[in-house]
Amino acid sequence: MTEPEASNGVAKPPTPRVAMHFDRADRVYAPGQELAVRYEIDGLAGVVVAAVERSVVWYTEGKGEEDLGVHHFDRVDAVSALAAAVPSGEIVVRLPASPLSYEGVIVKVRWCVRVRLFFGGRRDFVSEHVFEVGDVPPARGVVERLA
Amino acid sequence: MRLPRFFGKKRGHRRTGSQAWGSFGEAVFYAALVLAGLSFVGLLVTGVVSFDADAAGLPRSRWWLWLFMLLIPGALLAFGASGLTRTVRGWGKSEERRAAKEGIAELLDTMGDPDKAAHGHPGVPTCEDLVNSPGTILRYRLPIESPESWTLVGLGLFAALWNAVLAVLAVNAGIDLLSGRVEWVLLAVIVPFLAIGVAGIVLFVRRLVLTTAVGTTQVEISEHPLVPGRSYDVLLAQGGSGAFPRLALDLEVEELASFRQGTDTRTERAIVWRETVKEWADLQIAPGIRFEAHVTVTIPMGAMHSFASQHNSVRWRIVVHGRPERWPAFARYFPLVVFPRPTEVHG
Repeated sequence: MTEPEASNGVAKPPTPRVAMHFDRADRVYAPGQELAVRYEIDGLAGVVVAAVERSVVWYTEGKGEEDLGVHHFDRVDAVSALAAAVPSGEIVVRLPASPLSYEGVIVKVRWCVRVRLFFGGRRDFVSEHVFEVGDVPPARGVVERLA
Repeated sequence: MRLPRFFGKKRGHRRTGSQAWGSFGEAVFYAALVLAGLSFVGLLVTGVVSFDADAAGLPRSRWWLWLFMLLIPGALLAFGASGLTRTVRGWGKSEERRAAKEGIAELLDTMGDPDKAAHGHPGVPTCEDLVNSPGTILRYRLPIESPESWTLVGLGLFAALWNAVLAVLAVNAGIDLLSGRVEWVLLAVIVPFLAIGVAGIVLFVRRLVLTTAVGTTQVEISEHPLVPGRSYDVLLAQGGSGAFPRLALDLEVEELASFRQGTDTRTERAIVWRETVKEWADLQIAPGIRFEAHVTVTIPMGAMHSFASQHNSVRWRIVVHGRPERWPAFARYFPLVVFPRPTEVHG
């Protein structure tokens, strides 16, 4: 689990703690399988949450620029709906056939569930929880490096 | 309020510096392009730059030049407006929300950047371009992706363009000489230009001979796309004539990652898996009779599928390495697309 600081860098926002409970203890899912997670957010006492975004995404890591693919995204900003999403909520989604999680040498593909909270004054907080899709073994190393 | 910093750092997933200031700077840049485009159009439309014969502008017979000049502000407006729209659309939104592409935004993005992913398989490239050529014996003939061909095209273009410029200079110098004038500066320019032009032609012809003398390589495959855990028939056909001390057919996985370094965009490539499917030694190819061999290629069960995103990719390919006796060694690449293995889903 990673909990980066505010992405807009304006001022230090509240730092809640997000606990994510996956329906599979090993967090390894087959492509096309249903993913169900329940999250609980602590540390929101006295803080007004303006909106929450919940997403299931894949992103690349490694030498190259980061690419992002969004498989599931929803944003809850209506006051009436926020009660069902904060401080706890559920995400249930069927995973796609690809891309599979991959631990390459210069290219890595990772899947994660993200919960992003928005407070007043354009401040936000994101919590990211990695899981795996598929069972591709990591690349063993470089056979040849090309210019 | 924190003032913007000109130099940011990459810390893990994050970059230091304000996203808001970055977006603001981007918006100002695109707005400046739109303003410049509008000003230029204004100058052309109001007649400051006109095609009226009585004015100080372009003569009426050159109206096409006026239209041509509209291309510059047109490009500024199109580039600036699209950038400004993109910046405004993404203002204050999270990266997931921007990437989620909702409603009209999705339509606009699809128009600008067609989705190259295979249907039902996000992140996997399509293989449409790899299955549109039927094979002579097996089902598909794989297209060749040869760096040699691009070098040949590049050298050919360079030689053609350089010598076209040289021809224009030479004609001018010739006209001057015929009219009794000697432009020494022009002649001094032509001499080194001529040397480079001749060198360009020599390099192009040499590369053309090297590329064509070895003979064509053809690879056909029984099915496409490929799936991990399955085997496929592959036909290798090598043309040409003479002795080949070595000819080999390899299966490779290559990772590509492109990144910005200062103002440059660089691409790093690494072969992360290679298997020599078959190797032949001391082949003797007769003129007009190509060497043909059938081999079986198996994609390992746990292999990663082909993957392509904007800056990163994982590519599968067949590589034919050849070492003719009288010519330099060559490598010819035949791209493949590997889909993820179908899985039975329970729950």
